[in-house]
Amino acid sequence: MQTMLQPNTTKQKRLKKRKRWGIHLFPIPALAIYGLFIVYPQLAALTYSFYDWKGIKRGVFIGLDNYKNLFTQEPFSGYFWNSFGHNVLYFAVQMIVQNGLAFLLAFIIYQKIRGAEFFKIAYFLPRLLSVIVVGFLWKLILNPNYGALNVIFGAFGLENLKKAWLGDPDTALMAIILVNCWFGLGFAVLIFLAGFQAIPRDLLEAATLDGAKGLMMLRRIMLPLMMPSIMIMTVLTFIQSFEAFELVYAMQGSQGEPYHATDTLAVFFYRLAFGGGTGDSTAIGLGSALAVLLFLFISVITAFYLRYMQKKQVDM
Amino acid sequence: MGKMGKAWLVGVFVFILMFAAACSKDTDKTDMSDSGSKGNDKTEGTVSLTIGSWRTEDTANYEKVTAAFNKKYPNIKVEFKPSKNTEYNTILNTALQSGEGPDIIHLRPYAPGIALADAGYLEPLDDVKGLDVFPDAALQASKGSDGKQYGVPVNMSTTQMFYNKKIFKDLNLKEPKTWDEFIALNETIKKKGIIPIAIGTKEGWLLSAAHGIIGPAHYGANDFVDKITKGQTNFTSEEFVNSIKAMEQLKKYFPDNSEGLGMDDIRTLFATGQAAMFPMGSWEIEVVRGLNPDIEIGYFPMPSAIGKEPTITAWVDGSFAVNAKSKHKEEAKKFMEFLTTKEFGELFTNEFKMISAMPGVKSKDELVTSLSEAVEKISTPYMMVVYFAGGNPTTKVTLETELQGMYLGKQTPEGVAKKVQESADTWFKPVQ
Repeated sequence: MQTMLQPNTTKQKRLKKRKRWGIHLFPIPALAIYGLFIVYPQLAALTYSFYDWKGIKRGVFIGLDNYKNLFTQEPFSGYFWNSFGHNVLYFAVQMIVQNGLAFLLAFIIYQKIRGAEFFKIAYFLPRLLSVIVVGFLWKLILNPNYGALNVIFGAFGLENLKKAWLGDPDTALMAIILVNCWFGLGFAVLIFLAGFQAIPRDLLEAATLDGAKGLMMLRRIMLPLMMPSIMIMTVLTFIQSFEAFELVYAMQGSQGEPYHATDTLAVFFYRLAFGGGTGDSTAIGLGSALAVLLFLFISVITAFYLRYMQKKQVDM
Repeated sequence: MGKMGKAWLVGVFVFILMFAAACSKDTDKTDMSDSGSKGNDKTEGTVSLTIGSWRTEDTANYEKVTAAFNKKYPNIKVEFKPSKNTEYNTILNTALQSGEGPDIIHLRPYAPGIALADAGYLEPLDDVKGLDVFPDAALQASKGSDGKQYGVPVNMSTTQMFYNKKIFKDLNLKEPKTWDEFIALNETIKKKGIIPIAIGTKEGWLLSAAHGIIGPAHYGANDFVDKITKGQTNFTSEEFVNSIKAMEQLKKYFPDNSEGLGMDDIRTLFATGQAAMFPMGSWEIEVVRGLNPDIEIGYFPMPSAIGKEPTITAWVDGSFAVNAKSKHKEEAKKFMEFLTTKEFGELFTNEFKMISAMPGVKSKDELVTSLSEAVEKISTPYMMVVYFAGGNPTTKVTLETELQGMYLGKQTPEGVAKKVQESADTWFKPVQ
């Protein structure tokens, strides 16, 4: 028997070895695609940002001048800080409204209320729509003359609340951010709910025996254990709000209308790199410089934040 | 480990080889098919040309054009291959940069098109017969900075005040002959509970378009354009500031919540008879008729506020050019020649319902014919498109943004003029 098995096992060994070999071939297609569509364009943008561009023609090497112009030359510097401020507001409102509300809703659903499944799905539904569709729907709802929102206000006699929501610079940005919150709420609820459900029951029972209940339980026991999901949502929200583009573009166009009241860094980038409209001029060098800065900013902040939060994590 | 590393390397190498092989196979194939078609060229003498354009909606019409062309040149097949309006520039630019692109290029007018010529992507067309049928103003849309002609102008666009003939008849109104009559007209319409002017300020381009119609009545049309392009006046001058003030003055005749209305909203207001006038371009005639086939659209030239002739605003909206890298330049130039014939001009106005860049071409559509006659007699250029579409952001876009700011109460007419001048200062060089 043994003699019969012997060659078999060596064959298996050889097979195993070959298998290990083969494994290293598998990432290659993925790496090639990643290299071609992610790494290469980023490196290209980096090199583009060091050149002077005349329309679509690359001119001479100008070092960091594009970066300098972005901060010193009007109207670019004005647009830059204006957009940056909007991105910060985007992040703040999404953190408070979207994630705060989502945390609360997830906590309520976690309490096993009736219809929990239904609510979970209902909150997630908007997420299934394409952003362009979401933008279109809300443009209809917010239309000043026949939009549902103003019609509802009118029906309740709240005439003074009727507004051109997307046309008034005081309300346009907030309207878009809130639409984004509506869109992103379901995803945040799911993440938080998963976080709650991952807390071991026996731990909660032990806490109950020790006399923790209600808000105390939520604040002292559950919140520290929820840190991983809160961390994930914060990072995702941060990245998403500093890359905010689709919804602004779908609802207000590439100029961040009205009067740049809804401009964001990504929209500003689009305008620079591809021109504001049909036949508009482009500034590829400036656009690339902005893209590089945006990439650096997001990755550095995200990396620091992750480092910091990892230290604060509690073991379950 | 060492072995493993080698394995990795071999793997990468094999993959690269495979990839390279696949690529080279592809190029082989295209080479083959290319030489195949070249072989055909020799035996049958047929050449295939492609036209790149942003006019996806005109595909069927261009088939009629190429059919007419093929009656004369049966051996030159022409294929119309448009891409989406807002993506056309990007697609074309990328193709041109890599030495490709269609043989015949639908060229954006003025600065953006001329930029392609100046970058060396286009073939000079000075030797094409028939170019002299076009007036200089039309040729200017695609004249390179070197003075050579790079495009054949195809159509003119005009902007003017459209009006609903039925509303004017019901209210017993006449086309205004002076600015004061125009204001009085607005008052009368407003009193009857109809929106005088269908316009929204949510989309900036609507504002520069409207200013292109209303502005000349105040800055003095062609005389001012002449002076500003020669550097003898600028945007902070009284005439220009007055044209911005006029825009502000008209705000009371705009629809409610005009700051929240865009193109679709205002088109609906006009097409459904809720608004009496519509400051818009000729390209919207068919769209409005499509929404409401019963509407009778009229237009009037904008009466001057300073005692000059009334004007309608016109410019070349598109030209055709030949790709400098095209393999069939001679055949493409034959097509260019065809574009200068009266046959094409008439085909174009009647099928496309647009104004031909060729003078004296009559359309079966009364409104279009009347507009093209007006273009020959009383037109003033759309100054922002023709002369001030440069800079980044362009001076035109600056005007749009600042006008929007003015309607939102965040900018004064003087402030608008100042910003526009600042933008022009960054790039505009007066013609000597």
